[in-house]
Amino acid sequence: MNSVYTLTLRQLATRARLLLMFVLALLPVYAAAQSNWSEEWEIVVLSGMMAGSILPLVVLAVASIAFGNEIEDRTLANLTLTPIPRWHIVAQKLLAVITVSGPFMTLSAFAVGYIAFAGDVAATVAVTVSAFVAVLMYSSAFVWAGLVTSRAIGFGLLYVVLWEGFFSGYVSGVRFVSIRYYSIALMHGLDERRFASADNLSFGYAIAASAIVFAGFLLLSVRRLRHMDVP
Amino acid sequence: MTAQSGPPVIRVDHVSRWFGNVVAVSDVTFDVHPGITGLLGPNGAGKTTLLRMITGLADVSDGTVTVFGESMRHNPQLYRRIGVMSEQESVYEFMKGREFVEMMARLRGVTDVAAATDRAIGYVDLADAEHRTMGTYSRGMRQRMRLAATLVHDPELLILDEPLNGADPRQRVHFQHLLRRLAEEGRTIVLSSHILEEVEQLAETVLLVVNGKLAASGGFRAIRKALNERPYHVRVISDAPRKLASAVVQLDSVDAVNIDPNGAIVVQSRNVRDLQIELPRLAQAASITIRRVDPLDDSLDSVFGYLAGG
Repeated sequence: MNSVYTLTLRQLATRARLLLMFVLALLPVYAAAQSNWSEEWEIVVLSGMMAGSILPLVVLAVASIAFGNEIEDRTLANLTLTPIPRWHIVAQKLLAVITVSGPFMTLSAFAVGYIAFAGDVAATVAVTVSAFVAVLMYSSAFVWAGLVTSRAIGFGLLYVVLWEGFFSGYVSGVRFVSIRYYSIALMHGLDERRFASADNLSFGYAIAASAIVFAGFLLLSVRRLRHMDVP
Repeated sequence: MTAQSGPPVIRVDHVSRWFGNVVAVSDVTFDVHPGITGLLGPNGAGKTTLLRMITGLADVSDGTVTVFGESMRHNPQLYRRIGVMSEQESVYEFMKGREFVEMMARLRGVTDVAAATDRAIGYVDLADAEHRTMGTYSRGMRQRMRLAATLVHDPELLILDEPLNGADPRQRVHFQHLLRRLAEEGRTIVLSSHILEEVEQLAETVLLVVNGKLAASGGFRAIRKALNERPYHVRVISDAPRKLASAVVQLDSVDAVNIDPNGAIVVQSRNVRDLQIELPRLAQAASITIRRVDPLDDSLDSVFGYLAGG
């Protein structure tokens, strides 16, 4: 019953999209290689560039069309007119999104961590794992967005720029409901030695919030697919 | 033959569907039994909305729909017994025809995927194109491969929304033979169309939908008879409309005559064939020059509208 996964992989992994993701994933690596690492650069590259812009944009480009394209061209009925439970369809689509976008951003984060922290294994692992968890959260959120609106890309861009980029940077309370800050808090929690001085959400809160975001949007997607009129 | 005994395969009971203030389907009730049933109506009549509610793709605003005695909504297991071919002609263009049919077989839990795919593609006579990507197919070929995917799990109930769109005459004949054969094997087939002749050639039972309502149902002969007996309106432009009107009204084939504001006469007749013969003779005998004759209601909408009103 992995036909939906295979189909979605083929739909998402077009040459142009893979190339775009590759180029975007290289940008933070290039920035890390060009700079003398400091706490300021950590904020700019890891929080701003990775977690706050490039990572969500890469995931948005993939996740929003996991359902969006099939709703638009009306081929989604091919999947819903089958005996497969709706949650299987959503889970396989989400897995395909993570399969396509995950490696780019995880490898990019690994390279940034390795270069920036001069081969420090703990710090590199912390950066890599937090990036992967961010991919999971953004994927779940943007797959849902692709199901509820035909303008998921626009919605996602607004969300990334305004919420994750602007408000979460200037309004401290917004950090409690920000995927970007959950992933940063995870990174800091995974390597307290290096990131001990940072002012962040607690590690436990970040773990719980990450799980809630991922599972919550997954459940919302399943619910949406069950109740929507499939075009 | 349509087996009317036994419980219906599909039961639509006082079903309505509205989108905001627009009523797409209004209080429709009918049963469907094994055999071929045609859902007939002009474009925009509500056929597709009705089929989407039957197949569970769309929810009803009011009423109930059951298929094999069960609700289709939130009941995916029922799709093992049903094959649906929607009106939408989109396909996965990057996928080969055979891959598509195989994928649909797997999604529907078919055990011997290769054999089922061979059989389904054989049904639609597309074996020679099965290894081409569907992006290279003609419209008719796409429809046929979609039909193969609809048939691949050997469903008991087939719901086909405008299936002959894009088919050439040879493909239509092939398709009609195939549907008859499937019906003879005991399947229930519902097919929608806005083309009278298409349904007439295939369906034993017709459901006529106009403006979201069930306007007529039953055997095609009864509906065809009503069609043949409907009055036609013909506008005649001549150099002496009043003289022509007074002469035409005497003809047996004419029910009524009116003169419109532009000076043309509008003849109402239930026997257009006789009128075609008698009108030129009459004009010649009365030395009236007929400049133009226009049928006013040959469109499908007027046909359906008449039946709905009648």
